[in-house]
Amino acid sequence: MIAMSFITSFFTFMAVVSGGTLLVLVYLDNRKSRIDDGIAQFRRHIDALSPEARRNSVHHNNSDDRWSR
Amino acid sequence: MARDLAIDLGTANTLVYMKGRGIVLNEPSVIAVNRQSGEVLATGHEAWDMIGRTPSYIVAVRPLRGGAITDFDITERMIRLLLQRVGVSRFTRPKVVICVPSAITEVERRAVTDATRRAGASDAQLIEQPMAAAIGANLPIDEPVGNMVIDIGGGTTETAVISLGGVVALEAIRVGSFDIDAAIQNYVRREHGVAIGERTAEEIKIQIGSAEPGPDDRSADIRGRDLVTGLPKTVRLTAEEVRFAIDEPVAAMVLSVKRCLAKAPPELAQDFLARGMYLVGGGGMLRGLAQRIQRETQVPVKMSPQPLEAVVLGAGHCIENYQALRGMFMGARR
Repeated sequence: MIAMSFITSFFTFMAVVSGGTLLVLVYLDNRKSRIDDGIAQFRRHIDALSPEARRNSVHHNNSDDRWSR
Repeated sequence: MARDLAIDLGTANTLVYMKGRGIVLNEPSVIAVNRQSGEVLATGHEAWDMIGRTPSYIVAVRPLRGGAITDFDITERMIRLLLQRVGVSRFTRPKVVICVPSAITEVERRAVTDATRRAGASDAQLIEQPMAAAIGANLPIDEPVGNMVIDIGGGTTETAVISLGGVVALEAIRVGSFDIDAAIQNYVRREHGVAIGERTAEEIKIQIGSAEPGPDDRSADIRGRDLVTGLPKTVRLTAEEVRFAIDEPVAAMVLSVKRCLAKAPPELAQDFLARGMYLVGGGGMLRGLAQRIQRETQVPVKMSPQPLEAVVLGAGHCIENYQALRGMFMGARR
């Protein structure tokens, strides 16, 4: 009876710990992908403003070269 | 399928950029309406020719003042006509990016987007004029350096410091080149007792107006109506008189630039000394204005090669890269 109770408690404990660990891992993974998304989004934003990206829209309407830096 | 559009809905001129095609329309922001029937009679250049010369049943108006919509209904009809002229029909509803002054209020912002959606757009996004101007003027705003742009339009003067694709400091006032025209009208009325129209005042500004004395200072004969006799009269106006007449709005513009410089972080401020400030917008074409700003701020001022088109070209670039640059639209940052 005592052994049964111990085994049940052990498995319950293990289930809670595993579940908790899984939740933490999922949260950390989501957080990382959110950070990666932010970086990628900012990169896309900056790249879209580069002279190369602007060549088609601005340059074909503006024959002058990019102003001196 | 409609091509997406960028519109610079300026107080003075309206420009339309079509995705993949470039600028497809550039004309004055004027609409002529039959006062009795409410029917639109003309827009753009044709309506501009009518200003001050219409019979009583026709009214030729600019629906925007100081960058803000003063007549919602007429603005909506003007946008609808613009969209029709560039090929937008009831079945083709494009996405539209509209350039607006940065100092626009929440109510004015909603008025512009509502007017554009009702006129046939599937989605209407707003972008601040100085940001669009910086993109269109081809400034290196993708780099971590201070770019300062001064956009002087018909109704507003906006100065912005831009770095890494975002606005760092901003200063906007509702004073523009129309205030210069109004100052000339008031001066001629007060000092010479002659009434002149806004088109004549604009011609004086273009011909002999200047913000700084220069070697090409001239005089001009202007014609108007004598306020005492009511008869047509010609008076001679010198460049110095015009400079005196327009000093108040010009000084307000220069002060606005100084305030923006004072708001800029020190790290970026040193970039301006090396790289200068960039002047865009039709108001920036006033003779001697760049020199006056340079003299008063001690920062070099450079004129954009395409001062009138810079804003719409920048907005056009945003419509070409709609997804990547969504974060620049006004709603996205609030």
